[in-house]
Amino acid sequence: MTVDIRVQEAAFDIGAEQQWLTRRRSDIGAIVSFTGLVRDFNERPDVQSLTLEHFPGMTERALEAIAREALSRWDLQAVSVTHRVGRLRPGDPIVLVLVASAHRRAAFEACDFVMDYLKTRAPFWKKEHTASGDYWVSERQSDRDDAGRWEQ
Amino acid sequence: MTLTHLNARGEAHMVDVADKRESRREARARGCIHMQPATLALLLEGGLPKGDVLATARIAGILAAKRTHELIPLCHALPLSKVSVDFEMDEAQSCVHVEAMCRLNGRTGVEMEALTAVSVACLTLYDMCKAVDKGMTIDAIRLEEKSGGRSGDWSRSTSLEETDAKRHDGFDVAIEDGEDGEKVARDNGTLTIRFLAELRERLGQSEMSLACDRLTSRDVAGVKRALIALDSRFSVLEERRVLAARNQVMVNDTTAVDERDEIAFFPPVTGG
Repeated sequence: MTVDIRVQEAAFDIGAEQQWLTRRRSDIGAIVSFTGLVRDFNERPDVQSLTLEHFPGMTERALEAIAREALSRWDLQAVSVTHRVGRLRPGDPIVLVLVASAHRRAAFEACDFVMDYLKTRAPFWKKEHTASGDYWVSERQSDRDDAGRWEQ
Repeated sequence: MTLTHLNARGEAHMVDVADKRESRREARARGCIHMQPATLALLLEGGLPKGDVLATARIAGILAAKRTHELIPLCHALPLSKVSVDFEMDEAQSCVHVEAMCRLNGRTGVEMEALTAVSVACLTLYDMCKAVDKGMTIDAIRLEEKSGGRSGDWSRSTSLEETDAKRHDGFDVAIEDGEDGEKVARDNGTLTIRFLAELRERLGQSEMSLACDRLTSRDVAGVKRALIALDSRFSVLEERRVLAARNQVMVNDTTAVDERDEIAFFPPVTGG
């Protein structure tokens, strides 16, 4: 079982990440990936850029705990989470989750789970910069509800 | 701390676990076998004379976990519910990393099973490859983490950080001892408080220390109350939803705090 966690300023290449995950393996039957992008509209309609802050040390540990929780709930072969920090512009990719399993269902569900937990448990904060000023993004109740689905 | 496998006379004995409560136990161990780059290449291509090396080593590791009690004198026989053995090829270091995970619901831990699985998987890799490379070395067999049981959860990364922190503290104390005896006592009885993101900006402060004797209760809620008693601007900690982490793990208001802990307060997270 491979767990790969990365928190970085640099952009990532989904093709390269996927190739890295499957290198010299033929036991993986499915990879589900999720890529999150910066939108140009959010709490205000004219987001020009955003700054992602995190809590170094805790971030990596929280992401690893989420990935390991996914491994314990589903039969998976690999979980990889790459999250960017720093200044990002609309259209930039922020987060990449790759989940590999023998059969597709586990990978679909686990990828959904990892993102729900990441959204509510990993210490990242977004500050959006707009023409009318900067503000910290508020949490969404829908994200908390989504994460709550996995608690039963 | 005592050695549980020694009785009052210092003789080896098997611990009676009949009255211990069953809990979910899990342990993860890792190890490594270094080899010539050419050997690793052969292993990757499946070109070794004894056949499918990794599959054999995986089965060997799983079998070994199940038979740990036959090898380690005072170990109990355990009905393991799960054993996995995985390999990572590392061309940069010219080695194979071996990781084993064991799990069960039971009365005793599964660290020895995970460590045995790693050891025997490494030995099997050696056996399968020795025809072409006798100089291989097996090393760094270690427990990475364990959970469940009376002694609680343990992880290598956390434990190493704590050891580092203690060493660091010891160094500070030694320096300050000569100058200011009082400061030493205070340093031992303080918490480090951190504020992150919007909370940091709102408070205009990212870090401070708080003397433990200011706490009315030794938990996260007590830390909040002590801060508010110190300065009313900290009342923001109770007015809105604020999350907390103790030593970088998310906790809630009722979590106990200890001297020298780092308690971080931050707004709800918004990553992804």
